[in-house]
Amino acid sequence: MNDPLELLVEIGRHFAATLDIEATMSLALQRIAHLMAAEGGALFLLEGDLDSGQLVCRASHGPVDVRGLSIPAGTGIVGRSVANNAPEMVWDVQNDPHFNKSLDKQFDFTTRSILCVPLSVKDEILGALEMVNKSGGDALFTQEDLTLLQALAGSAALAISNARMAGELAEKEVMRRELALAAEIQRGLLPSPGADDYPVCGVNRPARVVSGDFFDYFTLYDGRIAFTLADVSGKGMNAALLMAKTASLFRCLGKEDLRPGRLLQRINAEVCETSLRGMFVTMVAGIYDPATGRLVLANAGHEPPLWHSTDDQFQALEATAPPVGIPPELTGGGPVPEEVIYLAGGSLYIFTDGATEGYVEPGVELGADGFKAMVQSGVAAGHSAQIRINEIADCLTKDGAVLRDDITVLVIDDAKPLQERLKRGDNTALKAMTKDPAMGGGGVDSVFEGSLCSLTVPARAESLKLVRRAVSETSTACGFSHEQCQDLVLAVDEACQNVVRHAYGGVNRGDRSERGDQSQGDIAVDLRREKGSFVILIRDYAPAVDVKKIKPRDLDDVRPGGLGVHFIREVMDTVEHLPPPDGQGNLLRLIKAI
Amino acid sequence: MEISISQQGALQVVAISGEVDLSTSPKVREALLGCIKGAHGVVVDLSAVSYIDSSGVASLVEAFQTAKTKGLGFALAEVSETPMRVLKLARLDQVFVIYARVDEAVTAMA
Repeated sequence: MNDPLELLVEIGRHFAATLDIEATMSLALQRIAHLMAAEGGALFLLEGDLDSGQLVCRASHGPVDVRGLSIPAGTGIVGRSVANNAPEMVWDVQNDPHFNKSLDKQFDFTTRSILCVPLSVKDEILGALEMVNKSGGDALFTQEDLTLLQALAGSAALAISNARMAGELAEKEVMRRELALAAEIQRGLLPSPGADDYPVCGVNRPARVVSGDFFDYFTLYDGRIAFTLADVSGKGMNAALLMAKTASLFRCLGKEDLRPGRLLQRINAEVCETSLRGMFVTMVAGIYDPATGRLVLANAGHEPPLWHSTDDQFQALEATAPPVGIPPELTGGGPVPEEVIYLAGGSLYIFTDGATEGYVEPGVELGADGFKAMVQSGVAAGHSAQIRINEIADCLTKDGAVLRDDITVLVIDDAKPLQERLKRGDNTALKAMTKDPAMGGGGVDSVFEGSLCSLTVPARAESLKLVRRAVSETSTACGFSHEQCQDLVLAVDEACQNVVRHAYGGVNRGDRSERGDQSQGDIAVDLRREKGSFVILIRDYAPAVDVKKIKPRDLDDVRPGGLGVHFIREVMDTVEHLPPPDGQGNLLRLIKAI
Repeated sequence: MEISISQQGALQVVAISGEVDLSTSPKVREALLGCIKGAHGVVVDLSAVSYIDSSGVASLVEAFQTAKTKGLGFALAEVSETPMRVLKLARLDQVFVIYARVDEAVTAMA
């Protein structure tokens, strides 16, 4: 091919079809060299700036492969062309003051003539194209050669610039996709909404793709609900990562530690152990019991949650400890003090400052009063808790307004549970809204109400002794007589035995050699005091047992075995098999009036 | 839980102490059935039993029935408060032969 125009068109097409500039450039250099009968050619790209950068050879053609050769920008004939952004046609290279003879020596080559044109797009210098040693004729590069090389340089510069922009775009696209994935995982950390009558619900609107806020809630094995809401200082990826860590800690520890104050203390210890300096988390954790409306709350440095009562009053529950992430050495450690309230049909709103400081219209914050007003109008309109908080989030994000901060609101709504309690004829359902310190203050109610003792043991015969001790001590503390305590110990022991022997299928009478000492799971026992009754919850994680098949035996038929169920029913006032909260395993509730 | 067995005339006295529960009752059952296999009448001394559950009671019932079919004597003696309460709950206090003292049982069953 000897038509320069045709060559330019072809090379231009190559550039358009590929982002691999170096491969295309090598081919182009070869064609151009052939066309203008040059011995070789090279592409130099500027790395860094003109003063201190380097010109690095990225493609070459000819007897010597000089790819990778790097010379300081501004030196040599190439450097002069780049520095001046002007072509160079040097017919007698050896006598040019800028020529670097050491390179000829290094490559065992003799440079006689050079044709060099700068590569630039608008005002940006990208590098230069250089051809060396024209052969044939008078061995001098011509004006025609220069024009051809300039034309090639123009399309090469554009292609290089495009490729760089494409690279940046691709990088941004990768980042964008990773952020989207992170956001998806983060949404997965939020709980999925419960059934319509589930008393706890939340809303989260991130200001950016990812959020530093989170909330979570789950039902405990005894029907109570553990919940949390937290706000990590800062926004963006670092806040999102700390949020993920804190959320996981809550999920994990929240199932074993049923005292919110101690739970926050433990989460703080974990976060501080590996904390990112200067980052902290304001966090509220609590446990709500739909069966009584009782709510235990611990607040580590968070915006005061608002309790909206059925007589339309608001009460703010102030933080009682510094945020999570402040080392315990600085604060004296210890559990976060807890507060106990009886919602009595009201609702508790926990929210991040993004909600109160969000703009209703440009420059106008919703504020605490605006928040309260929206709650009141939502309640007046008979909207469900989820709709009420959605409306608050909506009013701050209307017309696609850019959020200044993440918005997160969690609500615990006792309205429906109250109706249930009233239906059951529970006289304490409307119990006056008492506020008592659950820790430190040491009111009788706070110490001897709710869970008194929880333990989880492997389902094996050897564990039962421990369970008996726990029941014996706890029932004694509740004021039962010695005989009653013995009865309660027997009943709980028998119930746990049934879990070991039957639910987990450990032993039956036909094969006593096994004795059930192969533990296949756990038994969780919770000893509680609720409204004048001693309540025992026994939970296992074995396949569901067919309750209809459990029956006490006929006592007139004297034979070994089958007495356990009889003992339990004889001793307890109420024996109920309940559906476990997460549908897994079996849950037995034993009740005896104190 | 401890078991000690002593020979008193033609009878074996099996003295049990401590807690008889799901993990220890198989040993009680083994000891009682072992005595009966040796064709001895059995007196079970429950004076030092601090706890007994349904599996322990089941061991007593099984031994009692086995002795009966072999025409051997089987009695409980010095049943302490806690096991007595459990036997009553199971209405077994009317089924077992129960003596206030071990020597009383030995004399009566000789």
